[in-house]
Amino acid sequence: MVSYIVFLLVIAGIYALLAQSLCLAWGVTGLVNLGLAGFFAIGAYASATVVKWGGAPVPLGLLAALAAGAIAGFVVCVSTLRLRDDYLAIVTLGFAEAVRVVASNEIWLTGGTDGISGIPAGLPRDWGQGFHLASLAAVSAVVGAVWLALRRLVASPWGRALRAVREDQVVAAVAGKRVTRLKAEAFAISAAIAALAGALYGHYTSYIAPEIFQPLVTIYVFLAVTAGGNGRPTGATVGAYLLIAFLEATRFAAEVVPGVSALQAAALREMAVGVALILLLRFRQRGIFPELNQKAPA
Amino acid sequence: MTLLTRRAAFAAGTAMLAVPSLARAQGAPIRLGTLTPLTGAGGPYGPVMANCVRAVIAEVNAAGGVLGRQVQLVSEDDQTNPEAGVRAARKLIDVDRVAAIMGTWASSVTTAVAPLCWESRTFLATVSGADSITALPHNGWLVRTQPNTTLQGRKFGEYVLELGAKRAFFMAPQTPFTQSQFTNMKVALERGGGSADLLIYDANKPSLRTEVDQALRARPEVIVLGGYTPDSTVLLRDIFRAGFRGKLLAFAYSVNQQMIGSLPHEVTEGIYTLAPSPAEGSGGFDRVKRIVGSDNPDPYTCQIYDHVNLVLMAMAAGRDGTGQAIRDSIRRVSQGGGERVDNAVDGLRIVAAGGKVDYDGASGPCDFTDAGDISDCRFRYEQVRAGRQTLLRIA
Repeated sequence: MVSYIVFLLVIAGIYALLAQSLCLAWGVTGLVNLGLAGFFAIGAYASATVVKWGGAPVPLGLLAALAAGAIAGFVVCVSTLRLRDDYLAIVTLGFAEAVRVVASNEIWLTGGTDGISGIPAGLPRDWGQGFHLASLAAVSAVVGAVWLALRRLVASPWGRALRAVREDQVVAAVAGKRVTRLKAEAFAISAAIAALAGALYGHYTSYIAPEIFQPLVTIYVFLAVTAGGNGRPTGATVGAYLLIAFLEATRFAAEVVPGVSALQAAALREMAVGVALILLLRFRQRGIFPELNQKAPA
Repeated sequence: MTLLTRRAAFAAGTAMLAVPSLARAQGAPIRLGTLTPLTGAGGPYGPVMANCVRAVIAEVNAAGGVLGRQVQLVSEDDQTNPEAGVRAARKLIDVDRVAAIMGTWASSVTTAVAPLCWESRTFLATVSGADSITALPHNGWLVRTQPNTTLQGRKFGEYVLELGAKRAFFMAPQTPFTQSQFTNMKVALERGGGSADLLIYDANKPSLRTEVDQALRARPEVIVLGGYTPDSTVLLRDIFRAGFRGKLLAFAYSVNQQMIGSLPHEVTEGIYTLAPSPAEGSGGFDRVKRIVGSDNPDPYTCQIYDHVNLVLMAMAAGRDGTGQAIRDSIRRVSQGGGERVDNAVDGLRIVAAGGKVDYDGASGPCDFTDAGDISDCRFRYEQVRAGRQTLLRIA
């Protein structure tokens, strides 16, 4: 049971990174990024290929993931400058699917649908429980660092400008903010965080394949961020941990419901996710940690 | 107010997590797990597979269980997604402490789950076909009942030649076995003076007309379909609309009775299908038919029927309800001579009396190589005639 919970905490930490990425792009800047799974994949593949086939140490792989994510985020952002809301959402969703299709078919680069197995973790796997605890410490430290950094960024004048862009980019532009540059910066940083999550996922689980990066992951993260409060890094982080706790708890809850087959239990779990989202949006539209109004400096 | 709701949410979450510990307190049954796709792309197959295992275990429990202990089944959903599959496998291994996980379907899920299994001494039986799976460093913790794609590809190639055709066109979505299937089919065809082309399509497209037109440009005599039921249905419609009059060859798991029933007869008429098959006269296949209540159980259900029977008998032969016992003893009940059995109830009785069994299952003879592949496999050749699958031969 302990190793199961440690494992879940690591996975939840990775989801927390994805949630923080979405918090910055969507919650703070207002860029609906349905392509999160794509950036997650880019990071995973960048780090896995550099470390497994390039023989680089794991920290270098993580840096490669950050760089690849930031570049991809920058490219996606500048190529969609005139899009907002639904239109941006559709294009980013398409981007994520394109990443997945490329990963499935460019076998020389990504190993195709077989994926890449046996990715080194940077820590010895034969430590058993120790390996999982060390991974938990590492991932939690990264989550904490990103959370602190994001909090400072969001509270800074730069973060305030992002919120201005979110509310009305014309007004922000009139006030002298460089909207394009702000959006590109926010999107690139957000994509880099998602890519970092992907890299950590690959190194921890030792295996990545295109099928992992389905839109389902993006939807789960949207759920987490909505639950936690999309404008605050704290909300997004807590939301991600709650999401994994909820997803796994439904597993046990479905088991104790009498008289349902395995298939019905699986369907019940999916229904529970939907019901939770509806209840949340009905009773707590702004999440558990709603965005606070910043007081003007005295 | 905020604090109260937050607390309530945490309390509810923790309470839900605590529930299984209550259930664990009684007795010490042997636990086995299935990890099949109940939702997602594998959704048409997984539920039937899980039910089949449940039925076998119920029979065995009614006959007294294994080593005097009852067997308990935990069925989880891999959502046809490696990430969700890994979470479900962790739960089966760490919380339920199952001795074996059976039925992983998608090759990517199997590859993701396999390291967890061998690290935690849990046995894994899979139906995934990708060649790379048995090449993993699994040290005997894994077997698969699906013939690998090298063998299947060769059989397809040889059958095309046998149908009197030289030019074949292989259409398939990108899956872990597509390349190997095509390469081996091509080798077999070229040896007989034929040729083969490949076209990879996107399995999610609602129409595949452009792909079909592209295939027809090569003037193939046979089109070989390499997809699953949903995309093959779309493909067959478009092949019919395009007026193709050559022969069609497909996997029996995609062109199954369910699909034949959902399409007009003229679309499916004459399609040849191939499937790994048990030897004629084997009782395992009939038992699966009875369990699932269908004349044409899909090969995955047949295979998972074999998984659970082998796992139960291996535990009995190894005198221990653990993954280690299954790993060490599975080949003692699957091969090497002895009394032939096709179900665990008979097998367990013989093993308990000190006998040796040799299991012949619903999917085939189930003899394994050291790497975990099946060493011998017959194929079932069928043709769709007037909306029914008609058996041509088993060879």
